[in-house]
Amino acid sequence: MRRFSLVIAGLALILVLGALMGVALGPVKLDIHQVLSAILSGEDRMAHVVVWDLRLPRVAAALVVGACLGLAGCLLQSSTRNPLGDPQLFGLGGGAAVVQALAIAGLLGMGTWALLSLSVAASLVGAGAIALFASRQGISPARLALIGVSISALAAAAATGILAEARIFSSQSLYFIGGSFVNRGWQDLLPAVPFLGVGLLLALPVVGNLNVLGLGDRVAANLGAEPRRTRTIAIVSSGILGGAAVAVAGLVGFVGLLVPHLARLLVGHDFRRVFLVSIPLGAAFTLYADQAARLIFMPSEIPVGLVTAIVGAPLMIYVARRVL
Amino acid sequence: MLTLEALSFAVHGKVLLSSMTSIIPDNALTCLIGANGAGKTTLLRILTGELQATSGRFLIDHTDARSLSQSQIAHHFSIIPQDVQPPPHLTVLELVALGRFHPYGALWWRLSHRDHDIVDACLNLCQVDQLSERRVDQLSGGEQQRAWLAFGLAQEKRFLLLDETLGGLDVLAKQSFFKLLKQIASEGKGIVLTTHDLELVADYADRVVVLSHGRITYEGPPNAHLHNFLTSNGRQ
Repeated sequence: MRRFSLVIAGLALILVLGALMGVALGPVKLDIHQVLSAILSGEDRMAHVVVWDLRLPRVAAALVVGACLGLAGCLLQSSTRNPLGDPQLFGLGGGAAVVQALAIAGLLGMGTWALLSLSVAASLVGAGAIALFASRQGISPARLALIGVSISALAAAAATGILAEARIFSSQSLYFIGGSFVNRGWQDLLPAVPFLGVGLLLALPVVGNLNVLGLGDRVAANLGAEPRRTRTIAIVSSGILGGAAVAVAGLVGFVGLLVPHLARLLVGHDFRRVFLVSIPLGAAFTLYADQAARLIFMPSEIPVGLVTAIVGAPLMIYVARRVL
Repeated sequence: MLTLEALSFAVHGKVLLSSMTSIIPDNALTCLIGANGAGKTTLLRILTGELQATSGRFLIDHTDARSLSQSQIAHHFSIIPQDVQPPPHLTVLELVALGRFHPYGALWWRLSHRDHDIVDACLNLCQVDQLSERRVDQLSGGEQQRAWLAFGLAQEKRFLLLDETLGGLDVLAKQSFFKLLKQIASEGKGIVLTTHDLELVADYADRVVVLSHGRITYEGPPNAHLHNFLTSNGRQ
């Protein structure tokens, strides 16, 4: 318990520092007094605009997307007993990617709320397929991963095809495929927050049950953990979270895959703790990755997915060697 | 006491269990024997409520299991299925502690003092207390089975169903496991074990139920029948 508390406290500190860094650093550097003054009073008009309209929504978007992806990966890995469980890899974000590609290509004329809702609904199609296959008795984690990867590849091909057909080869397209928080404002972020809440609340009642799903369905059912219901709810919740994340930031890879493994390294294998730690850990990983994407080649930017992959790949190899 | 009354089960027109009538007592080690496909696992699945009998009935004490939900039936049985494998990270202590899992309020579930006492007692009884911090998947086959047995006992249910859990164990490990089951049964637990180890069944079982093509061909004490069974069918 002490270790868990320390990890949560450490992550809280890292998040606060990251958020301050995200708000203070950039082409216009702000010191801590300017940041606090901009947040609290707004006397410094320039600082107020930079903080409230440009940097704070971007920091918040990174936090929300990171939390969504961390949670989604965590739910997917435990409910399918699959260490490869990741919303991108399992195709849960695929439907959302197609919807977003259609929107970028100008083929869907709708507001942000409607677009985000449609993305989540499309993502639930992928979640439904995974839930259906996962509920079949005897399907191995490897086969489930293959099905997920296939759905994911199909959706990625459709999304890329839509962008190519619309002749969108701009940075907008690159940022979508690689994932990015460029120009994200409150209007892009706020519609995603309720979906984070819904995904979280939906998953909460089954979080305890996920601890015994690892023993196999027959034993879990015998312990009263209702494996089918538990798994379906976890995957649907994962679909909602994954869809919302894609709608805000595009295809940010590695966060959903890596974060649950890192969480297990930090707090052990009690799923309830892994679940709780995956939220701030996903948020912190994405926030710092976005800072790197934004600041390393300033004033130009790279997709945040590049950073998560560059940092995530060696970490994942380490985790695979050490734990899996 | 479990009572089977003319219990049958068929799927897609194929009869897997046919008109089975039997009594499975508490406080006894009952072994289900028979060739592969004889219906042993199907019968266990009906006992645990995973499958519904197509005709006949199955009583837990005097209550018809059809009037109970699967979770109500599960209150009476702990089950260790065939080829069960723990998650790779789980220690023996963690596995046995999961036997105390309670689905309601599972988010905040913690072991009470009583739970700790039960877990310790089961670890001791199954002689895995010295291995409690070891990962289950790193134990020998015999040690793993003892850990799973402790997990089953920690649930404190009246009946323990073990579905061919002895595969891959050497003779000494199997013998030691049977001894332990016999001891646990004598202390008040109803144990149903499906197995192919006829000699050990002859030595340790209180009752034996022989299945063949979905029918019960014999039930009763093991010795006399098993001798005939071994000579007529050869070792299985």
